[in-house]
Amino acid sequence: MQKFLVIFICAFLMLSFDYIASYPLFDQPPHFPKPIYNFNKNPLDSAAIELGRALFYDPILSRDNSISCASCHSPFNAFAHTDHDLSHGIFDSIGTRNAPALFNLAWQKSFMWDGAINHLDVQALAPITSQKEMGSSIKEVIAKLNTSKEYKSRFNQVFKDPKITSSRILKALSQFQLTLISAGSKYDLVVSGKDQFTHQEKNGYELFLKNCNSCHQEPLFSNYTFQDNGIPLDSTLNDLGRFNISQVESDKMKFKVPSLRNLSYTYPYMHDGRFRSLKEVINHYTERLYKTPNKSPIQDNPIKLNSNEKVDLIAFLLTLNDPNFVFDKKHQFKKISMGAKE
Amino acid sequence: MIRWLVVFLSLLAIKAEAQDFHSIQFVPKFGSHPLELNTEYTLGNDKITFTNLKFYIADLSFFLKDSLIHRPDQKVFLIDVSDSNSLKIFTNTKSTFDRITFKIGIDSVTNVAGALDGDLDPVHGMYWTWQSGYINFKLEGIATNCPARLHKFYWHIGGYLQPFAAQRCIELMGNFSKIKNVNIQIDELFKYIDISQTYNVMSPSVHAIEIADRLAGIFKITD
Repeated sequence: MQKFLVIFICAFLMLSFDYIASYPLFDQPPHFPKPIYNFNKNPLDSAAIELGRALFYDPILSRDNSISCASCHSPFNAFAHTDHDLSHGIFDSIGTRNAPALFNLAWQKSFMWDGAINHLDVQALAPITSQKEMGSSIKEVIAKLNTSKEYKSRFNQVFKDPKITSSRILKALSQFQLTLISAGSKYDLVVSGKDQFTHQEKNGYELFLKNCNSCHQEPLFSNYTFQDNGIPLDSTLNDLGRFNISQVESDKMKFKVPSLRNLSYTYPYMHDGRFRSLKEVINHYTERLYKTPNKSPIQDNPIKLNSNEKVDLIAFLLTLNDPNFVFDKKHQFKKISMGAKE
Repeated sequence: MIRWLVVFLSLLAIKAEAQDFHSIQFVPKFGSHPLELNTEYTLGNDKITFTNLKFYIADLSFFLKDSLIHRPDQKVFLIDVSDSNSLKIFTNTKSTFDRITFKIGIDSVTNVAGALDGDLDPVHGMYWTWQSGYINFKLEGIATNCPARLHKFYWHIGGYLQPFAAQRCIELMGNFSKIKNVNIQIDELFKYIDISQTYNVMSPSVHAIEIADRLAGIFKITD
């Protein structure tokens, strides 16, 4: 019996080693589930990641070279846009939703607040084309990149061929974004036995598990489903969320559950950025839930917290801030310098 | 000298053989007239000009007596009326067949496969960017009965999720000669779809399905 156990453990270790060995550039946190993204179709490569990073920070993706991905997804805001309720785009346009934070994308099966995008590799087409974001087209982007000696040489270096195609641009952008892994918060250190919660944080964690974890499931702090969380319709936006995509009545006013990681860097909150503080969010769930048509179970059982418990819950939520991720230099802007060898 | 003769003769043989391969020629039509872009056609009290007609053909298959005899290696073809080369699909089969089947549009597996190349490259304008998914069939134009701005109508038919999955199967039977003309009778659509009511169709929806359900009826074989 013991022998079998040993064999089983060895086999398991070998398999996991094999798994890690196939994607050496993908830093799989040990306490995270298996990623959803299929790396076999876009194996991570350091030159491709760097190309993706250059594209992510380059306003060449927008029609008038004014807006880059990082304009609304800033590294210092966990790749969200702190202090902006709705996203800002080309020609001073204001969008209709709050720019979501970008991290742990390899574990998500759909993108955008309404899940409109079904694969990370096609995600960038949406902001590139949107008239309120970059106002360009992938065709125009290819033409512009083709006028750049630097980019031509870099595509050649990555793909062993100088041709700049949509799938190469998109896959390089995915590569960079797949490396945006947030798994270095105090919570993560506690889970891996390297740190301890304070008494208050521990109490908040227990309240979290009891009241929030069914949707904001640890360790990603979202189950990435679509839920109507009882915030009333904003009649200036009339955004019906998931319904716009599925046209299914029961999806009205449902939005994707966002991760609770890095909350201090990503305010304001909700799909339209209507709440500026965590306190407002918690007061919504405890006191101000609206009876909306497709209410999730939470609306029948509002969370009951006294004011001390609210403070404890917030103390726990702050342990999900990941400054190691937010200030990691390898995710930040780096000027392309094709002349010098790296 | 004899060697060159052999080479020359075999080249001739190859050329002759190439001519024997079957091909499918799509012929866009409006009534009995060939359909050309930017040309006005009359239908009842309506005058219609088409500015864009593109669609995807998938899983083209040739059958003889219910057995599959040929399926091109290329799974998907983009047919674009503004590019006459795209209207002809060559095969590498010479055997006779009595039935061809194909699908209009892209299946759900391909729709969730990420960034693709060739005819499926999003540069062709047949991919929705705000919501992932291919446009299976795109028809745009100007119709006097269309109440929209400048009388422009946009039929972008796509969607891969139920209840609005818009891919449709086409089956054509008959006596096939070597080059087979498949007419695309665009006027058929206008018999069933009222352009004064249905003119902006640009997402998976009931209206897209209404048009998708009519697509099988517009493909017709002539000898």
